[in-house]
Amino acid sequence: MKISYNWLKEYVYFYLSPQELADKLTNVGLVVADVKTVEDDFCLDVEVTSNRPDCLGIIGIAREVAAAVGGSLHFPEKNFLSSNTEITKYINITVEEPVLCPHYTARVVRHITVEPSPEWIQKRLRCVGIRPVNNIVDITNYVMMETGQPLHTFDLDKLLDQKIIVRRARSGEEIVAINGARRVLFHDMLVIADGKRPIAIAGIMGGKETEISESTRNVLLECAQFEPRQVRRTSKAVGIASDSSYRFERGTDPEGVDYASQKAVGLVKDCAGGEIASGGIDIRSQRYEREKVTLRMERVHKILGLEIKRDVVSDILKKLQFNVINEVDNYIDVEIPSFRGDVYREIDLIEEVARMYGYNNIPVKTSISVRGSAKSKEEIVEGYIRQFLIGLGFYEVKTFGIVDTSSLQRVNLWSDKEGIDIANPLRQDESRLRTCLLPSLINTKRYNINHGTEQLKIFEIAKVYLAGDKMPQEKTCLSLIADTDFYTVKGIVESLLLNLGILSKCEWTIFNESRLFSNEKATKIQMDRVTLGCLGEASKELGFKTSTSLLELDMDFLVEKSCFTKKYQTLSLYPSVLRDLAIIVDEEVTWADIEKCIASVKISFLKEINFFDIYRGKQIPAEKKSMAFNLCFQAQDRTLKNEEVDIAQQTILDNLCETLGAELRK
Amino acid sequence: MLDKLKKVKEALQNEIEAAATLKDAEQLKIKYLGRKGAINDLMKLIPTLPAEQRATFGQQINSFKIDITDIINEAFKKLSSESIPKVKKEIFDVTLPGKRPFIGKMHPVTRTIEDIKEVFARLGFDVAYGPEVELEYYNFEALNIPPDHPSRTDFDTFYIKNDILLRSQTSTVQIRIMENQKPPIRIIAPGRVYRPDTVDARHSFMFHQVEGLLVDEGVSFSDLKGVLNQFIKTYFGKDVQMRFRPSFFPFTEPSAEVDISCSICSGKGCSVCSYSGWVEILGAGMVNPNVFKSVHYDPEKYTGFAFGMGVERIAMLKHGIDDIRLFYENNIHFLSQF
Repeated sequence: MKISYNWLKEYVYFYLSPQELADKLTNVGLVVADVKTVEDDFCLDVEVTSNRPDCLGIIGIAREVAAAVGGSLHFPEKNFLSSNTEITKYINITVEEPVLCPHYTARVVRHITVEPSPEWIQKRLRCVGIRPVNNIVDITNYVMMETGQPLHTFDLDKLLDQKIIVRRARSGEEIVAINGARRVLFHDMLVIADGKRPIAIAGIMGGKETEISESTRNVLLECAQFEPRQVRRTSKAVGIASDSSYRFERGTDPEGVDYASQKAVGLVKDCAGGEIASGGIDIRSQRYEREKVTLRMERVHKILGLEIKRDVVSDILKKLQFNVINEVDNYIDVEIPSFRGDVYREIDLIEEVARMYGYNNIPVKTSISVRGSAKSKEEIVEGYIRQFLIGLGFYEVKTFGIVDTSSLQRVNLWSDKEGIDIANPLRQDESRLRTCLLPSLINTKRYNINHGTEQLKIFEIAKVYLAGDKMPQEKTCLSLIADTDFYTVKGIVESLLLNLGILSKCEWTIFNESRLFSNEKATKIQMDRVTLGCLGEASKELGFKTSTSLLELDMDFLVEKSCFTKKYQTLSLYPSVLRDLAIIVDEEVTWADIEKCIASVKISFLKEINFFDIYRGKQIPAEKKSMAFNLCFQAQDRTLKNEEVDIAQQTILDNLCETLGAELRK
Repeated sequence: MLDKLKKVKEALQNEIEAAATLKDAEQLKIKYLGRKGAINDLMKLIPTLPAEQRATFGQQINSFKIDITDIINEAFKKLSSESIPKVKKEIFDVTLPGKRPFIGKMHPVTRTIEDIKEVFARLGFDVAYGPEVELEYYNFEALNIPPDHPSRTDFDTFYIKNDILLRSQTSTVQIRIMENQKPPIRIIAPGRVYRPDTVDARHSFMFHQVEGLLVDEGVSFSDLKGVLNQFIKTYFGKDVQMRFRPSFFPFTEPSAEVDISCSICSGKGCSVCSYSGWVEILGAGMVNPNVFKSVHYDPEKYTGFAFGMGVERIAMLKHGIDDIRLFYENNIHFLSQF
């Protein structure tokens, strides 16, 4: 809210420059975002939090200043003379919805002249950023800025049947608001109507047909209280927000209606002449009862960690216009002023005390107890993977969880169901929660290629969102793209899985179910019959010029299965024997077949089998290949004799020949 | 026999001095050390000697051979340095770049989260996570933000449908943890949050927050200041000053915004801190009793504090980054700087 420095000075004594005032206000929770010179005044732009509607009027700010600097408050007079004619002669008012409109008042001023308002009003409005219109409109704005209480004036002669009814709208009724917007109303909205039609959307905006014009002679000034949630709902529904709705939805002072009404009619008479009808209409469904709250001193101490005397506390509360009813021992009974609707509990009073005592005067204590905290398994695995990949030259990227609905993003590795859509996206084409990380990484790679970086290794650890019953399933995934061939990325993954203790449980099968991957070189990794992820060279369709491989893994599953507890294997004291072997087999025979076949021979001192080469071409018959590997033999209890290694090797070879039709390459 | 050796040596020395070219030296080498050279001739004499002298003479010839070799090599060295045009010796250049292994980088947002986690872990905070797609209840009602409440204006939210949304704050994790655990509680919850803000240099529709929560008996605002002071001094540096300002969050009471002295201008005033000398880094406060009620904690028995900070904002301050969009473009030239 914008306030005028000079205007404020009228209500509270202080000796602070505009900047000093700004600092003071900021320190009590009213952040001053900006101080500007406007004509011979200063405009302070105050950020008022949504719990403090009382500070949406200059009087409210004055109260804060008075409490903060100790200056005394003095509010202007509101005396006026009225005529002898009773207001009821001109208007008849009914409130049909006392819950939604707990308090409705009206006053009538007749024979006025609509003209520009006096310069002093115009100047103040300009300072706080409101454009002057005419004396009547300006006065309602002026009083609203002063008190925080919105007001509205109708052209009395345009009200049909001399009636005002505060009622729910009839579904389908229409109104054209002062700003020109035509709106169809519904039954759940509250309107001010005359005998025939709605003339205002209650608390939000008046209607065009009854607005003040240059020819207006007689006015009705409405000053009321509306139920905040109702105003907010309707304001959102009709898409109209105003200074008035802004204040009503935050809650206005239930005891402030009359003051504002009287202040306004007084100004109307002063500035626009005319005569005020005697009396006012005041319809109130129930008397407002001020809240009473007890503040326990030990609670102040418990919450704030501050030793503070009772009289200091009660002094702060009094300065803030709280009514201290009773002070005994460790208690203070407080009556809450009507304009502080935000304060209704003990904790709220404690905040007031802390605020005025100064947050920065509360001691900084470091006496919290010692407590051990270890990393969770997911943090350990995630941290390990991150460091592992970074060490291999991968950059970590972060991409958005909301993606477009292009065909690239529609690729789905984890579920057959379509992705989940956002009901209110920022942009229509970016409306979906991603179901797979790879498309975002592909886009990131493309972005970098366009910015001159061709060679690139990137990864991301983030969630994908899969359609579920009520709530979506959120799966954390690890995804990467590298400018390498299939076996390089496979090697990286194997290394990773080995270190996470699960490589031996993984099964690798041909994978050709996704458009992202090449049909030839891609694999699905499974463990205990559950998919751990997919890996493969990028499909040609993706258009990368150099060899590119992709990976996406289910991190949740990986974390669940990872095992860091390693058991020590006694080191052998005896030398190992290495034997190289090359065999020729049919194309169809896989390395897994060979490994399995060798393992089936069950030689207790065979320690390792290491593949090192595959060869096709000269000297090898067509549709056959040569596979070269070495066998590492080592016993725990003795030095192996050459003869027994020879026998073992021959047994292995014989088995390979028999089972897989292999022959030794000479 | 010794005389013979001496003579050979003298003859050699004379001839060496006379030698003017490398070629001369080469011929001398053959003449004395070659297969048919003077030394070998002397060797041939050994079998002719009486048995008892053979060993001694053999040794003498050997040491003589070493002397001769040295003399000839010396000559080679001398002549080669004179006769051959001088080739400059290779000089070892320590300033040449080494062969650097290519190492990747952690994303600056992750780096920041990890650093924040590290500080709080040492203060005994566990790390907790919660879902990003949330029930409206956890994002709002349980946090004391009722429907149609004006404070919802501060939390514009992406909705999936009716009561399901993308969380607009990590405070949701507070509720989920408290629903399942009894005090004492000490957690931080990092994660992604979403808000339908129009994207510009300062706003992104997705960003990261770190939420903190400590609940126990006898926890006060003063402890909150203590813990945040520890964090700020550890993370930003021990000379950095901290300032608490009253503010409003529905889930805390009292609530505060916490500023630190501007690290760019050391509090003198610059564009980063809007010439105030202070920059806002987090929101905090004592857990609102209404929040305790929604998780069935007794607010008379337990008190606690919560705080929340924007990760990108902290990373931007720390590294002097002026545009939040850079974090999500993932340009390698940006990522490689951290």
